[in-house]
Formats: sequence, structure tokens, C-alpha cells
Amino acid sequence: MSDLKLRVKEMIIERLKLEGMAPEQILDDAPLFGDGLGLDSIDALELVLGIEQVFGVKIEDEAAGMKAFKSVQALTDFIAEHAKV
Amino acid sequence: MTDIPAHLPHRYPFLLVDRVLEREPGRSVVAEKLVTNGEPYLQGHFEGRPIVPGVLLLEMLAQAGGFLEADSLHGAAIFLAAVQDARFKAPALPGDRLRLEVQAEGAFAGLLKIKGMVSCEGRELCTATLLVKRL
Repeated sequence: MSDLKLRVKEMIIERLKLEGMAPEQILDDAPLFGDGLGLDSIDALELVLGIEQVFGVKIEDEAAGMKAFKSVQALTDFIAEHAKV
Repeated sequence: MTDIPAHLPHRYPFLLVDRVLEREPGRSVVAEKLVTNGEPYLQGHFEGRPIVPGVLLLEMLAQAGGFLEADSLHGAAIFLAAVQDARFKAPALPGDRLRLEVQAEGAFAGLLKIKGMVSCEGRELCTATLLVKRL
């Protein structure tokens, strides 16, 4: 697992208080919303704030969110693409 | 700002903000609610021992949060979506001048996260994080 992807999973677990869940239990390609992790719109806001705080990447609107929240892989790619290192 | 009803659609007996002292739309608001023995909910909460219900302190914060929006909320569909980490440290009583402080933490897809504190004469009475949804 790439370092960034692991950090993304750790951020998801911490921010959404998914206690007892390990990063490797979150599948790279499983959808975050709906059938996958089953997150809701409140979780989406928490993730947007977490991503901004931890990675300094802003998800500006729902269109960007739709793309970024497809899966952990998509979110990792989104952060890698937008992060200013 | 004293023309509260012009901004909020809430009315008696559920208008729980009396004054707005400071206001920076999108960022922070400081407002006040003056508690009197005439509050209708104190008749039964409790007989002989009036205490402002804790849930109404949360509602006060939510209404103060309405002033984070630049425009009047008349006709707007806004609902409470979540209450997180609510703590009630001391009761609010008749005669209290409650200071309601709220800060916007962030927003996404119509959801706004607000951090709030109710205090009285420098004493912290209640802290909570609220999420409100605008449809």
C-alpha cells in the first residue's frame, strides 16, 4: 500500500471514528458512499474538512466531491494531484 | 443588530435570540438571549425550580448560527442534521444574560458545520458542534 493511500485510510478512520477498523480493511476500489463504506452526507463534510486539514487539499464543490469520493484510490489520486508539496 | 425577526423566521415562543452583538457572515457570530421568568417552557421545567432545557441551549446556538448566513432566512429550508459533542456544564436560569458564540467550521454540499458555546458572565454553560442542512 502506498504511503499516501495508507494516510488517506488512516484519516478516514480517525475522522469518521470508525473505531476498530484497520486501514487494510478498507478496500482501495470500494465506493466510499452507498454500497461500499456506506458513508452519508455528514461523513462527506467531515472528510472534506479532514482532507483540507491533513493534506491541505480543498474539495470545492459537489462535482469535485463526486470525483474524489468514488473510492479510496480515487481520493488518493485526487489528493496527489492537488497537493502542493 | 436588533431586528432579529427580519432575519430569522422563528417566532414566539420559539424565537431564542434577542440581540446580535457581532457578526461576520460565513465566519462567526456573537448573540444574546435574555432568560426571564416569563419563558413559557419554564412553567413546567421544572415546577418550583426553573431551568432552561439543555436542548433549547442547542437551539439557541442553531438560531445564532442562522446569522452566519448573509441573507435573511425567511423562506429558506434549513434543518438540524447532527449534534456532536454536546456538553452541559451548568444550568441556565431566569435572569441570565446568555452569550451565544458560534463559528463556522466548514461547509460542503449544503451542510454547514458550526461550533458553538453558551456562556453567562464568563462561565461556560454549554458547548456543542452542530451540523445544519440547507435544502
